Amino acid sequence: MVLLSAQRWVRSRLTDRFWRVQEVLKYARHFRGRKNRCYKLAVRNVRRAFVKATKARREKKRSLRALWITRIEAASLEHGLKYSPFISNLHKSQVELNRKMIADLAIYEPKTFKSLAALAQRRRQEGILAALGDGKEPEGIFSRIVQHY
Amino acid sequence: VAKTSLTSPPWPEVKLPDPVEEAKYHAEVVQKVNNMVAMGQYGRLFAVVHFASKQWKITSEDLIMMDNVMEAECGDRIQMEKVLLVGADNFTLIGRPLLGKELVRVEATVIEKTESWPKINMRFWKRHNYQRKRIIMNPQTVLRINSIEIFPCLS
Repeated sequence: MVLLSAQRWVRSRLTDRFWRVQEVLKYARHFRGRKNRCYKLAVRNVRRAFVKATKARREKKRSLRALWITRIEAASLEHGLKYSPFISNLHKSQVELNRKMIADLAIYEPKTFKSLAALAQRRRQEGILAALGDGKEPEGIFSRIVQHY
Repeated sequence: VAKTSLTSPPWPEVKLPDPVEEAKYHAEVVQKVNNMVAMGQYGRLFAVVHFASKQWKITSEDLIMMDNVMEAECGDRIQMEKVLLVGADNFTLIGRPLLGKELVRVEATVIEKTESWPKINMRFWKRHNYQRKRIIMNPQTVLRINSIEIFPCLS
Protein backbone atom coordinates (compact mmCIF):
# COMPACT_ATOMS: atom_id res chain seq x y z
CA MET A 1 0.00 0.00 0.00
CA VAL A 2 1.68 3.20 -1.09
CA LEU A 3 0.38 6.05 1.06
CA LEU A 4 1.95 9.33 0.00
CA SER A 5 0.92 11.65 2.85
CA ALA A 6 1.13 11.44 6.66
CA GLN A 7 -2.61 11.76 7.22
CA ARG A 8 -3.22 8.65 5.14
CA TRP A 9 -0.58 6.60 7.07
CA VAL A 10 -2.24 7.14 10.43
CA ARG A 11 -5.57 5.90 9.12
CA SER A 12 -4.35 2.50 7.85
CA ARG A 13 -5.45 -0.41 10.03
CA LEU A 14 -4.19 -3.99 10.25
CA THR A 15 -6.48 -6.10 8.06
CA ASP A 16 -4.90 -9.58 8.13
CA ARG A 17 -4.64 -10.09 11.86
CA PHE A 18 -6.82 -13.21 11.56
CA TRP A 19 -4.40 -14.94 9.20
CA ARG A 20 -1.33 -13.98 11.21
CA VAL A 21 -2.96 -15.53 14.28
CA GLN A 22 -4.01 -18.65 12.37
CA GLU A 23 -0.43 -19.17 11.18
CA VAL A 24 0.57 -19.74 14.81
CA LEU A 25 -2.56 -21.55 15.94
CA LYS A 26 -2.32 -24.14 13.15
CA TYR A 27 0.77 -25.56 14.87
CA ALA A 28 -1.08 -25.70 18.22
CA ARG A 29 -4.25 -27.50 17.18
CA HIS A 30 -3.19 -30.84 18.67
CA PHE A 31 -2.26 -29.39 22.08
CA ARG A 32 -4.23 -30.03 25.24
CA GLY A 33 -6.26 -27.41 27.05
CA ARG A 34 -6.69 -23.70 26.32
CA LYS A 35 -3.37 -23.45 24.55
CA ASN A 36 -4.90 -24.92 21.41
CA ARG A 37 -7.40 -22.04 21.18
CA CYS A 38 -6.06 -18.91 22.88
CA TYR A 39 -3.37 -17.06 20.97
CA LYS A 40 -1.47 -15.69 23.94
CA LEU A 41 -0.99 -19.13 25.48
CA ALA A 42 -0.47 -20.79 22.10
CA VAL A 43 2.41 -18.51 21.07
CA ARG A 44 4.51 -19.49 24.06
CA ASN A 45 3.81 -23.18 23.70
CA VAL A 46 4.36 -23.28 19.95
CA ARG A 47 7.72 -21.60 20.46
CA ARG A 48 8.67 -24.25 23.05
CA ALA A 49 7.50 -26.98 20.72
CA PHE A 50 9.73 -25.72 17.89
CA VAL A 51 12.77 -25.41 20.15
CA LYS A 52 12.21 -28.90 21.55
CA ALA A 53 11.85 -30.33 18.04
CA THR A 54 15.13 -28.69 17.00
CA LYS A 55 17.01 -30.15 19.96
CA ALA A 56 15.33 -33.54 19.59
CA ARG A 57 16.53 -33.86 16.01
CA ARG A 58 20.11 -33.88 17.37
CA GLU A 59 19.23 -36.25 20.22
CA LYS A 60 17.45 -38.69 17.89
CA LYS A 61 20.72 -39.84 16.37
CA ARG A 62 22.16 -40.62 19.80
CA SER A 63 19.10 -42.44 21.11
CA LEU A 64 18.68 -44.53 17.96
CA ARG A 65 22.31 -45.63 18.17
CA ALA A 66 21.81 -46.67 21.81
CA LEU A 67 18.71 -48.61 20.78
CA TRP A 68 20.60 -50.46 18.06
CA ILE A 69 23.40 -51.33 20.47
CA THR A 70 20.89 -52.72 22.98
CA ARG A 71 19.27 -54.85 20.30
CA ILE A 72 22.60 -56.18 19.01
CA GLU A 73 23.63 -57.01 22.58
CA ALA A 74 20.42 -58.98 23.14
CA ALA A 75 20.73 -60.86 19.84
CA SER A 76 24.40 -61.72 20.30
CA LEU A 77 23.77 -62.97 23.85
CA GLU A 78 21.32 -65.44 22.35
CA HIS A 79 24.25 -66.81 20.37
CA GLY A 80 26.63 -66.84 23.32
CA LEU A 81 28.62 -63.66 22.66
CA LYS A 82 28.60 -60.28 24.32
CA TYR A 83 28.30 -57.01 22.37
CA SER A 84 31.95 -55.89 22.73
CA PRO A 85 33.67 -59.05 21.40
CA PHE A 86 31.00 -59.33 18.68
CA ILE A 87 31.54 -55.84 17.29
CA SER A 88 35.33 -55.81 17.75
CA ASN A 89 35.82 -59.19 16.05
CA LEU A 90 33.50 -58.27 13.18
CA HIS A 91 35.56 -55.14 12.67
CA LYS A 92 38.82 -57.10 12.76
CA SER A 93 37.40 -59.46 10.11
CA GLN A 94 36.91 -56.41 7.84
CA VAL A 95 33.10 -56.58 7.86
CA GLU A 96 31.95 -52.95 7.74
CA LEU A 97 28.25 -53.25 8.56
CA ASN A 98 27.05 -50.48 10.83
CA ARG A 99 24.95 -50.97 13.95
CA LYS A 100 21.68 -50.04 12.26
CA MET A 101 22.16 -52.80 9.66
CA ILE A 102 23.26 -55.43 12.18
CA ALA A 103 20.22 -54.63 14.33
CA ASP A 104 17.91 -54.91 11.29
CA LEU A 105 19.53 -58.19 10.26
CA ALA A 106 19.13 -59.54 13.79
CA ILE A 107 15.39 -58.79 13.62
CA TYR A 108 14.54 -59.80 10.06
CA GLU A 109 17.32 -62.23 9.00
CA PRO A 110 18.12 -64.48 11.98
CA LYS A 111 20.14 -66.99 9.94
CA THR A 112 22.41 -64.25 8.59
CA PHE A 113 22.91 -62.91 12.11
CA LYS A 114 23.82 -66.39 13.32
CA SER A 115 26.49 -66.67 10.64
CA LEU A 116 27.86 -63.24 11.62
CA ALA A 117 28.01 -64.35 15.26
CA ALA A 118 29.84 -67.55 14.25
CA LEU A 119 32.33 -65.48 12.23
CA ALA A 120 32.97 -63.21 15.21
CA GLN A 121 33.37 -66.20 17.55
CA ARG A 122 35.89 -67.86 15.25
CA ARG A 123 37.90 -64.65 14.85
CA ARG A 124 37.87 -64.26 18.64
CA GLN A 125 39.28 -67.75 19.15
CA GLU A 126 41.99 -67.16 16.58
CA GLY A 127 42.87 -63.89 18.29
CA ILE A 128 43.12 -65.56 21.71
CA LEU A 129 45.33 -68.33 20.36
CA ALA A 130 47.58 -65.84 18.60
CA ALA A 131 47.91 -63.85 21.82
CA LEU A 132 48.69 -66.93 23.94
CA GLY A 133 51.61 -67.92 21.75
CA ASP A 134 53.45 -71.26 21.86
CA GLY A 135 53.58 -71.67 25.61
CA LYS A 136 57.42 -71.53 25.68
CA GLU A 137 59.59 -69.16 27.69
CA PRO A 138 60.90 -66.17 25.70
CA GLU A 139 64.68 -66.36 24.94
CA GLY A 140 67.36 -64.41 26.76
CA ILE A 141 65.19 -63.66 29.79
CA PHE A 142 65.81 -64.76 33.35
CA SER A 143 63.00 -66.95 34.65
CA ARG A 144 62.25 -67.53 38.29
CA ILE A 145 63.99 -70.91 38.27
CA VAL A 146 67.74 -70.24 37.96
CA GLN A 147 69.66 -73.16 36.42
CA HIS A 148 73.10 -73.55 38.05
CA TYR A 149 75.64 -75.20 35.77
CA VAL B 1 50.32 -85.10 39.65
CA ALA B 2 47.20 -83.87 41.47
CA LYS B 3 45.16 -81.17 39.76
CA THR B 4 45.05 -77.85 41.60
CA SER B 5 43.27 -74.64 40.77
CA LEU B 6 46.40 -73.36 39.00
CA THR B 7 47.26 -76.39 36.79
CA SER B 8 45.25 -75.16 33.85
CA PRO B 9 44.67 -71.50 32.94
CA PRO B 10 41.34 -69.99 34.08
CA TRP B 11 40.16 -69.30 30.52
CA PRO B 12 38.50 -72.16 28.57
CA GLU B 13 40.87 -74.06 26.32
CA VAL B 14 40.26 -73.26 22.65
CA LYS B 15 41.02 -75.74 19.89
CA LEU B 16 40.79 -74.79 16.25
CA PRO B 17 39.84 -77.50 13.73
CA ASP B 18 42.48 -79.06 11.48
CA PRO B 19 43.44 -76.57 8.71
CA VAL B 20 43.64 -79.22 5.93
CA GLU B 21 40.24 -80.71 6.70
CA GLU B 22 38.84 -77.22 7.15
CA ALA B 23 40.11 -76.16 3.71
CA LYS B 24 38.39 -79.21 2.16
CA TYR B 25 35.13 -78.41 3.98
CA HIS B 26 35.30 -74.76 2.86
CA ALA B 27 35.87 -75.78 -0.78
CA GLU B 28 32.86 -78.15 -0.59
CA VAL B 29 30.60 -75.44 0.82
CA VAL B 30 31.72 -72.92 -1.80
CA GLN B 31 31.04 -75.52 -4.56
CA LYS B 32 27.55 -76.19 -3.19
CA VAL B 33 26.67 -72.48 -3.01
CA ASN B 34 28.04 -71.93 -6.53
CA ASN B 35 25.84 -74.76 -7.82
CA MET B 36 22.80 -73.36 -6.05
CA VAL B 37 23.41 -69.94 -7.57
CA ALA B 38 23.97 -71.45 -11.02
CA MET B 39 20.75 -73.51 -10.83
CA GLY B 40 18.82 -70.52 -9.56
CA GLN B 41 17.59 -72.31 -6.41
CA TYR B 42 17.05 -69.15 -4.41
CA GLY B 43 13.90 -67.18 -3.68
CA ARG B 44 13.94 -63.48 -2.93
CA LEU B 45 17.40 -61.91 -2.55
CA PHE B 46 18.19 -59.11 -0.12
CA ALA B 47 21.31 -56.95 -0.20
CA VAL B 48 23.00 -54.46 2.11
CA VAL B 49 24.19 -51.54 0.00
CA HIS B 50 26.28 -48.51 1.01
CA PHE B 51 24.65 -45.55 -0.76
CA ALA B 52 24.49 -41.81 -0.05
CA SER B 53 26.75 -42.35 2.98
CA LYS B 54 24.18 -44.65 4.57
CA GLN B 55 23.68 -48.42 4.59
CA TRP B 56 20.37 -49.76 3.32
CA LYS B 57 18.88 -53.26 3.46
CA ILE B 58 17.09 -53.60 0.12
CA THR B 59 15.19 -56.18 -1.94
CA SER B 60 13.73 -55.86 -5.41
CA GLU B 61 10.69 -53.54 -5.88
CA ASP B 62 11.86 -51.45 -2.91
CA LEU B 63 11.52 -47.67 -2.56
CA ILE B 64 14.45 -45.67 -1.14
CA MET B 65 14.50 -41.98 -0.28
CA MET B 66 17.79 -40.11 0.07
CA ASP B 67 18.03 -36.71 1.70
CA ASN B 68 20.13 -35.01 -0.99
CA VAL B 69 20.26 -34.34 -4.74
CA MET B 70 21.21 -36.92 -7.32
CA GLU B 71 22.87 -35.76 -10.56
CA ALA B 72 20.73 -38.07 -12.67
CA GLU B 73 17.46 -37.30 -14.39
CA CYS B 74 14.16 -38.97 -13.47
CA GLY B 75 13.93 -42.32 -15.21
CA ASP B 76 17.69 -42.99 -15.34
CA ARG B 77 18.89 -46.49 -14.48
CA ILE B 78 21.62 -46.64 -11.85
CA GLN B 79 23.84 -49.52 -10.74
CA MET B 80 24.82 -49.49 -7.07
CA GLU B 81 28.38 -50.72 -6.73
CA LYS B 82 29.16 -50.80 -3.00
CA VAL B 83 27.41 -54.01 -1.94
CA LEU B 84 28.33 -55.22 1.56
CA LEU B 85 26.17 -58.33 1.94
CA VAL B 86 23.86 -60.45 -0.23
CA GLY B 87 21.59 -63.09 1.19
CA ALA B 88 18.85 -65.52 0.30
CA ASP B 89 16.99 -68.07 2.36
CA ASN B 90 19.71 -70.74 2.47
CA PHE B 91 22.98 -68.85 2.01
CA THR B 92 24.56 -65.45 2.67
CA LEU B 93 27.54 -63.86 0.95
CA ILE B 94 29.38 -61.52 3.33
CA GLY B 95 31.75 -59.03 1.76
CA ARG B 96 35.10 -58.15 3.34
CA PRO B 97 34.21 -55.29 3.22
CA LEU B 98 32.70 -55.16 -0.29
CA LEU B 99 31.53 -57.83 -2.72
CA GLY B 100 32.85 -57.88 -6.27
CA LYS B 101 31.00 -56.34 -9.20
CA GLU B 102 31.18 -59.68 -11.08
CA LEU B 103 29.26 -61.34 -8.23
CA VAL B 104 26.35 -58.99 -7.58
CA ARG B 105 24.43 -56.47 -9.68
CA VAL B 106 21.95 -54.06 -8.06
CA GLU B 107 19.92 -51.87 -10.42
CA ALA B 108 17.76 -48.90 -9.46
CA THR B 109 15.77 -46.16 -11.21
CA VAL B 110 15.37 -42.53 -10.16
CA ILE B 111 11.64 -41.91 -9.74
CA GLU B 112 11.12 -38.57 -8.07
CA LYS B 113 13.10 -35.48 -7.08
CA THR B 114 11.28 -33.33 -4.53
CA GLU B 115 11.86 -31.20 -1.45
CA SER B 116 11.14 -32.37 2.08
CA TRP B 117 8.33 -30.99 4.26
CA PRO B 118 9.23 -27.59 5.78
CA LYS B 119 11.24 -28.33 8.92
CA ILE B 120 11.41 -25.51 11.46
CA ASN B 121 14.66 -24.66 13.24
CA MET B 122 14.02 -22.40 16.21
CA ARG B 123 16.39 -21.00 18.81
CA PHE B 124 15.10 -19.20 21.88
CA TRP B 125 16.75 -17.86 25.04
CA LYS B 126 14.31 -16.89 27.75
CA ARG B 127 14.43 -13.44 29.30
CA HIS B 128 16.93 -12.26 26.65
CA ASN B 129 14.54 -11.29 23.87
CA TYR B 130 16.33 -13.67 21.49
CA GLN B 131 14.52 -15.88 19.05
CA ARG B 132 15.45 -17.03 15.55
CA LYS B 133 13.22 -19.06 13.27
CA ARG B 134 14.44 -20.74 10.09
CA ILE B 135 12.51 -23.00 7.71
CA ILE B 136 14.58 -25.70 6.01
CA MET B 137 13.42 -27.79 3.06
CA ASN B 138 15.98 -30.43 2.01
CA PRO B 139 16.02 -31.76 -1.54
CA GLN B 140 15.10 -35.44 -1.65
CA THR B 141 15.36 -38.17 -4.29
CA VAL B 142 13.25 -41.31 -4.47
CA LEU B 143 14.71 -44.43 -6.08
CA ARG B 144 13.07 -47.75 -6.91
CA ILE B 145 15.29 -50.87 -6.71
CA ASN B 146 14.53 -52.82 -9.86
CA SER B 147 16.49 -56.03 -9.34
CA ILE B 148 19.30 -57.75 -7.48
CA GLU B 149 21.17 -60.44 -9.47
CA ILE B 150 24.00 -62.76 -8.45
CA PHE B 151 26.30 -64.70 -10.78
CA PRO B 152 28.05 -68.01 -9.99
CA CYS B 153 31.67 -66.89 -9.93
CA LEU B 154 32.66 -67.97 -6.43
CA SER B 155 36.02 -69.69 -5.87
